[in-house]
Amino acid sequence: MKAVCWMGKEKIEVHTVKDPEIINPHDAIIRVTRTAICGSDLHLYGGFIPTMESGDILGHEFMGIVEEVGPEVKKLKRGDRVVIPFTIACGNCFFCKDNLWSLCDNSNPNAHIAEELYGYSGSALFGFSHIYGGYAGGQAQYARIPFADVGPIKIENDLADDKVLFLSDIFPTGYQGAENANIKPGDTVAVWGCGPVGIFAVASAFMLGAEKVIAIDRFPERLKLARDLGAITIKYDEKEVNIVEALRDLSGGVGPDSCIDAVGIEAHSSTAVGIYDKVEQAMMLETDSPFVLRQAIQAIRKGGTLSIPGVYGGVLNKVNFGAAFGKGIKMAMGQTNMHKYLKPLLQRIEEGQLDPSFIISHIIGIEQAPKLYPIWQKKQEQVTKIVIDPWMDTIRPEVDGRVLLAN
Amino acid sequence: METAKEASLAGTMYAPLPEGTNDGRVTAHAVQTINADAEELYKVWSDVTRFPRWQEHVVSVTPTSKTTSHWVVGNPEDQDGKRIEFDSEITEDVAGQKIAWQSISPEVEQYGSVTFKQAASGRGTLVTLIQTVKVPAGRLGNAVASVVARGPAQTVKENLRHFKEMAEAGEIPSVAGQSHGPRGIVGGIKEWMYGETNPTPPGSSDRS
Repeated sequence: MKAVCWMGKEKIEVHTVKDPEIINPHDAIIRVTRTAICGSDLHLYGGFIPTMESGDILGHEFMGIVEEVGPEVKKLKRGDRVVIPFTIACGNCFFCKDNLWSLCDNSNPNAHIAEELYGYSGSALFGFSHIYGGYAGGQAQYARIPFADVGPIKIENDLADDKVLFLSDIFPTGYQGAENANIKPGDTVAVWGCGPVGIFAVASAFMLGAEKVIAIDRFPERLKLARDLGAITIKYDEKEVNIVEALRDLSGGVGPDSCIDAVGIEAHSSTAVGIYDKVEQAMMLETDSPFVLRQAIQAIRKGGTLSIPGVYGGVLNKVNFGAAFGKGIKMAMGQTNMHKYLKPLLQRIEEGQLDPSFIISHIIGIEQAPKLYPIWQKKQEQVTKIVIDPWMDTIRPEVDGRVLLAN
Repeated sequence: METAKEASLAGTMYAPLPEGTNDGRVTAHAVQTINADAEELYKVWSDVTRFPRWQEHVVSVTPTSKTTSHWVVGNPEDQDGKRIEFDSEITEDVAGQKIAWQSISPEVEQYGSVTFKQAASGRGTLVTLIQTVKVPAGRLGNAVASVVARGPAQTVKENLRHFKEMAEAGEIPSVAGQSHGPRGIVGGIKEWMYGETNPTPPGSSDRS
């Protein structure tokens, strides 16, 4: 099969590799019909996540048709159409039973590496470095799915792949970002980052009753998506706009009730502190660039809730913990407890509350993935979301209008 | 079978469990809370023939009497690889609560114990494994080193982790033999570290 492989920092190649096989009794193999490049894949592309190895198959947003099931799979059969949550969970440990699926005890074969760095290991993820299990990802024509009775959600309607694909990560991740923000009806919510997760956080904040949602980003095409959802947008440009002041003014001098950092480790800043982060990262004194986190801690109202769906991987410097303490704020963060959200969010899509496909700007074949990673990283060609048809058999340029054709 | 309850440590001072190296003997401990009954876990541990499913580097264990067994250790994947054989006996057996053992072959020295206690919080069973291994000197020591990819202390922790995974998830998570692109030279060296060629035992929910 063809698969998108990480071959080094800023080096992505498509290779022909052997088809996946059943390894464990609860595995299934699916034929991938749709997959996507996630903003967090750009962290891998840029070399910000440790324990990636040459040859790792990328991709954790994908769906497809069940080809084969292991001897102990009871709920799935060949031919079922499924969306795969990007976190892998056993379904029977203390954490799974407590709905903390992304903290599953039993899915990461490399738990000892995570224990070295984090004390304890979270669940494994598809295609997201060896510290998270080293599982081959879904930017491929086939994929192996462990614990197939626990994770995959069957799609038993005729909705197009592009409408349900984002149940695999970004819709639930944006939703959990909003849910963790403790939003009450009438609240003002600020969202940093209008990438896919930020956009779904904006949409979810409204679903949860927010009165006013303020969205912050650097790029007009992303800000437009947020405005289309009803948000007030701030174009992030340090020379002209002071974000903390803008948020104070927009929230009646109080500060937003909730702040959502949907940016994470690679926040951009050209200020002195931003340059300081770049130098520290280069010198390995700091792994993450927490610019948004600093700003959100400063901007949030007293007693507010800061929710962090953006990915962090390591050590942060110059975070004003005193401000967080002084204002008595609450923080909530972590990988998404995917399995908890699949059914309710599928229902919202089926009821027509949201058509998640609105964020797609590009539909491509698998061979074009290596070309599109750098384009999205540099935010060129107005990319908002790239989906891949690994078989190039369902792209319909005449109806789609968003297609980037094969070379 | 009677189940032991986790003792309350309220009002006591923390006493570390055994860990460390002394005169060539490596002692390590591992603690896990497993979402299963103590009786069930005790039964699984009592069946020595199933050890190769969840202990790393164990090729086979054959009972030789009610309390003794014969062990073959090595890399199960490598048919022609080195093998170390020894006998072991159970020194204490409290149904549903505790098993202790020691090796009885002169060339190998290893002993340990596992206890099962009902977790006070109602979260299943608290399992504590304490094991001591003396890595032998000379040719046999080299043979041990060549069949064991992890240090002895980490092996103790991994074995109890595998036991928990098998009991809770019905399998031991593994990426051994999965698809990947070209690894390159450095990646090839690191493959074992990242699990793809790790000594992960097969693990199965087959409880027969």
